Amino acid sequence: MALLFANTANAQDGMLSVISNGKGAPSEMNFQELKSILRGERQRWSDGTKVVIALMKTNTKAGSTTSKKIYGMTGDELNKYWLALVFQGKAKAPAFFNTIAELQSFVEQTPGAIGIIDVAAQGNTKMVTIDGKKTF
Amino acid sequence: MEKKHFSPPPFKRKIRKMRLGVQSKIWLTILCIVLIFAFFLLFFFPAQQEKYLLKNYEKEIQTLANTVSLGVKIALTEQNFEGVQTAIDFIKDDNRLRFVAMIQTDSIYEEKTKQKALKKTVFKSFPENFTPDPNWVSNELLIIKISPFSTDIMKGEIMVGFNTSEIVESKKEIRQTSLLVSALISVFGILIGLWLARQISVPVLALRDAALKVGGGDLFAHVKAIQTDEIGELGRAFNEMVVDLRQAEEEIIKVNKSLAATNANLELALVDLKAAQNQLIHSEKMASLGQLTAGIAHEIKNPLNFINNFAEITGELLNEVGQSGLSPEQEQLVVQARDNLMKINTHGKRADSIVKNMLQHSRATTGEFQFTNINDICNEFMHLAYHGIRATNNIFNCTIETNFDNHIQPVKVMREDIGRVILNLLNNAFYAVNEKNEEFKSGNSSANGYKPVVTVTTELINKRVSIKIRDNGNGIPDEIRDRIFNPFFTTKPAGSGTGLGLSLSYDIVVKGHGGDLLVNSQKGQFTEFIIVLPA
Repeated sequence: MALLFANTANAQDGMLSVISNGKGAPSEMNFQELKSILRGERQRWSDGTKVVIALMKTNTKAGSTTSKKIYGMTGDELNKYWLALVFQGKAKAPAFFNTIAELQSFVEQTPGAIGIIDVAAQGNTKMVTIDGKKTF
Repeated sequence: MEKKHFSPPPFKRKIRKMRLGVQSKIWLTILCIVLIFAFFLLFFFPAQQEKYLLKNYEKEIQTLANTVSLGVKIALTEQNFEGVQTAIDFIKDDNRLRFVAMIQTDSIYEEKTKQKALKKTVFKSFPENFTPDPNWVSNELLIIKISPFSTDIMKGEIMVGFNTSEIVESKKEIRQTSLLVSALISVFGILIGLWLARQISVPVLALRDAALKVGGGDLFAHVKAIQTDEIGELGRAFNEMVVDLRQAEEEIIKVNKSLAATNANLELALVDLKAAQNQLIHSEKMASLGQLTAGIAHEIKNPLNFINNFAEITGELLNEVGQSGLSPEQEQLVVQARDNLMKINTHGKRADSIVKNMLQHSRATTGEFQFTNINDICNEFMHLAYHGIRATNNIFNCTIETNFDNHIQPVKVMREDIGRVILNLLNNAFYAVNEKNEEFKSGNSSANGYKPVVTVTTELINKRVSIKIRDNGNGIPDEIRDRIFNPFFTTKPAGSGTGLGLSLSYDIVVKGHGGDLLVNSQKGQFTEFIIVLPA
């Protein structure tokens, strides 16, 4: 009941959380590091694992929030941004999902994966704190 | 209606006169085939392959552009970048890629024209530092394919540029391969030509040579027909034909020999027939002439007897008158009349002799056949003739040679008649040598140291007896040889011969004895008469 409340609170507040696979991403990083990773500027984690980004589609609230907070772009701009990177072979494009559950499942199963959700992580999914906070 | 004869142009006539041998035709055929193959391999097939290669290349590039375009569309509409990621990863690993660009198309309002216009700008490109012109089109070095996409976010097109170096390289390889294959085909063609020449031309030429030999008469010429094809069959047929020709020729030779023998027999028969015909004509002529001669002689003989008798009686009367009591003038007339009577008597007797000969000639043969020694009769009449001529010409001298065959048995002949023949021929021989001797003595003859010789030879040949009487006188000219047996033909001066001797002799030998009277002569050298009598 408390988790459901928290989730609802995150969504309403436009707060985001970072989840990751157990392998690759560290448990804690600052916001600039997060932005650098999510913009595709870093391709590998410190342990060598390839970075795999998982985002909610921009037509979802979480996706829209992610675009604005992390990328500072609209959904269309985000698409064009990633299209440009992918087109030039500079980065591997993120995987976009329609639901949190799909995203969380993907992250759990994909080594090096890092995802942005607007709810608290469910189950045993690893949470990454940003600047010491679970949400930002 | 006038016919128009079509005459081909000179160059066509020249072409018709050109003679191409089998070997040339084979090589020409092989050359044509090789040239056709070479043309296809060097020009047609490479052009076709290059065309298909370029078409496939362009199709492949277009497919890649379409794939990227579709991936972009999916990425922009569904935020699924896997397609475009995969397509881009695939395309950028292709070493033929020159660039791939995403062209953004924007519709802008132009103030000048007051109309909307499309503006193309390069949104992104790979490689990053290469920015193509959106208006580029394909050329020889670069193939450009465009695939449009349209989403709510963005409209544009994917522009892919691939270089043609691979195509050029492929073309080069194709041409090299074609050249190599053409060379191989040419070599193969030459080998086939050699093989065909050996299989066709060589046997045909051998057949021609053999045919020429056969044409030249060599019916043992043959060809080696070891092949099992039509050429071999032709060679075997030729050999069989030559064998048949040889057999036919042998048969022809046999038939020719038979025909030659028949012809020889026919010629002999013809000669015999002509001889018989001549003899028949001669006999008829002689018979007619004999009757005429007999009539004339009979009619002349009586008045001639009167002339001779009264000439003698007149002579005797003149002798009885004597010369007493005659004036000198009368005596001179009596002497003159006596001389005239002597001339009348002399010529009358001569005329009587001619008449007797004529009667003898017309009488033909009337004697009886009796066995007679030919050598004896020759010897007898030889002496008679010699002394006869010596009686009238006491300075006549001649060598008489005899070659008598002592094995000749007595022959059944009319002795007196054959004796007359021998006598006639010997008289002629003595006359001839005497004439030549007189010429020699008077210096009119070119014969040096001439000695008159008359030879009498008897022989028994093939059951026939021959009597040859040969003299080394002046011979008989060719132009009169055919007439010497004609009655009254003579070369002697008037009063020396009647021209009946040879004619009479011919009748006696041929008609009277069934024999033959032949003559050989060479002008200025000799004359030889041969009496042939059946033994």
